[in-house]
Amino acid sequence: MSNTPVSQSSVSFLDRHHLLLRRLHSLSGIVPIGVFLIAHLVTNSSIMWGKVGLRGDGADMSLAEGGAFYFHKEVVWINNSIPHLLLIELTLWAAIAFHSVLGFVYAFSGRSNTRNYGYGANWRYTLQRISGYIGILFIFYHVATLRWGWSFLVPGGTTWSHHYAASTLALSLRGGTEITLAGVLVSAFYFVGITLLVFHFANGLWTSAITWGLTVSQRAQQQWGYACAAIGTGLMLAAWASLLGFFLLDPVQATRVEQAYYQKYGQPIPKRHHLTDQNITPLKTEPSTLGKN
Amino acid sequence: MHTPSTAKPGTRTITMKIKRCDGPGKPERWESFSLSVTTGQGMNIIAALQVIAAKPVTVEGSRTTPVVWDSGCLEEVCGACTMVVNGKVRQTCSALLDQIAPNDGDVVTLEPMSKFPVVRDLSVNRQRVFHNLKRVSAWVPIDGTYALGPGPRETPAEQEVRYTLSTCMSCGCCLEACPQFNQEPDSKNWDTAFLGAHAISQARLFNSHATGKELAPQRLDALSGPGGVGDCGNAQNCVKVCPKKIPLTESIGAMGRAVTIHAVKKLFTMK
Ligand code: SF4
Ligand code: SF4
Ligand code: FES
Repeated sequence: MSNTPVSQSSVSFLDRHHLLLRRLHSLSGIVPIGVFLIAHLVTNSSIMWGKVGLRGDGADMSLAEGGAFYFHKEVVWINNSIPHLLLIELTLWAAIAFHSVLGFVYAFSGRSNTRNYGYGANWRYTLQRISGYIGILFIFYHVATLRWGWSFLVPGGTTWSHHYAASTLALSLRGGTEITLAGVLVSAFYFVGITLLVFHFANGLWTSAITWGLTVSQRAQQQWGYACAAIGTGLMLAAWASLLGFFLLDPVQATRVEQAYYQKYGQPIPKRHHLTDQNITPLKTEPSTLGKN
Repeated sequence: MHTPSTAKPGTRTITMKIKRCDGPGKPERWESFSLSVTTGQGMNIIAALQVIAAKPVTVEGSRTTPVVWDSGCLEEVCGACTMVVNGKVRQTCSALLDQIAPNDGDVVTLEPMSKFPVVRDLSVNRQRVFHNLKRVSAWVPIDGTYALGPGPRETPAEQEVRYTLSTCMSCGCCLEACPQFNQEPDSKNWDTAFLGAHAISQARLFNSHATGKELAPQRLDALSGPGGVGDCGNAQNCVKVCPKKIPLTESIGAMGRAVTIHAVKKLFTMK
């Protein structure tokens, strides 16, 4: 019985702080992880819409050049202007670790039964767990290769660098200057990973409203469901646009754009550790003439 | 549930495929029985089981023991006859063969609920369902040595919500279908395993009762603890299978909200 006193020590840590941990798990998925996800996808999808974002500056650039230029500018800004970047990163990694470890514990308490009860919400329940499992694998690969420099896991062995954000990302996804089979496989894994994670976020947003008691009536749950579906669709498009944009980006062309960026702002061109066998002549021109190279 | 029958007039032969088990810990086996059904006679699964019990001979022609099952009211209000029919949980007294097996040669599979220990064949021990009502103090405290006077008045709006919640018959359908509610053989774990939609919804019923409210903090403590409302994974199967159409997911949302507020209050009063 719940009113029988139980000695505190015989109850596990998880049980003693049951509600608090459950709610922190729910919250951490939205702040900071979800907020970061949104910002991350908006930045990355600029590879597709960056030319528009540059306004007049991008007038003479092609779509790809404008995207690369804008994205590169964003990354440089993030790395130079955001204070305590490492602290922010550490917080984020800690939140992801917390969310996934608890998520595993919670997920193991359930038994999926979509075979007999194939209702939509039940499928989402099951997918929420599967997307968590595969999603954390993807995040690990993504962060390890592009942030921690585990380049031995990157086809072609590219080390991502924020000095050459767009070109080294394109190289990592394509597996080299030209698209390789390994690159296609890595990009396919990216496709699965980002698709599942966006679903995980949108569906989690929907269930968290019930968990916290924000949506109670069936109608409220349904309406919030539509809102979450709209948010999910928007983020999904941003995620797919990012992947497609970098997969199709020519790394040589992107390097040229990045070097033109440094020229435009009168900064020394950072040393290139990628495409060393390629003789890339930095453009001596203003970026506004990039499109005519 | 009250879909019109699609069965053609006349008599047809169907097969009842039943999962059998001679007792706790004994092996399971499947046995099939052939049954002739006449359209329009309104035969339900309980009546079919009675016919089989009168002559327990399988389709292979071997004689076996009569199948054991539970039933009570025969009008879908007691919950005793709850079983898994063709893979989905439901009451068998309201399962009419003209609807679920309308054609000659149709097969109806019957299994006991999987989340409760089997007593024998189709009969299970649902004790944990009632144990969970105790965990959330699902009653109105009126015990005393003196007359309490007339009960409190309730508005029609409150009545409407509470009436639906009160139709729960503790059948266990919502628990059987819930991916978060699982068989718990060791009753020592019953106080920390997930309560399920049934008890969460009953806590809501009694928390909204003018006198039952008195125990609300106690109920919310139980709902905040291990196995409480936080363990719900929002698969929402419960609301789909509840024969009484109880808005269980609303109850889960309402109790999620109550538990949130309760926790914040406790934080500030440091109790
Ligand atoms: S809530 Fe519905 S399904 Fe659950 S026990 Fe009550 S009547 Fe049965
Ligand atoms: S909504 Fe919660 S209680 Fe209902 S079936 Fe899903 S997990 Fe179980
Ligand atoms: S016998 Fe009571 S519900 Fe079926």
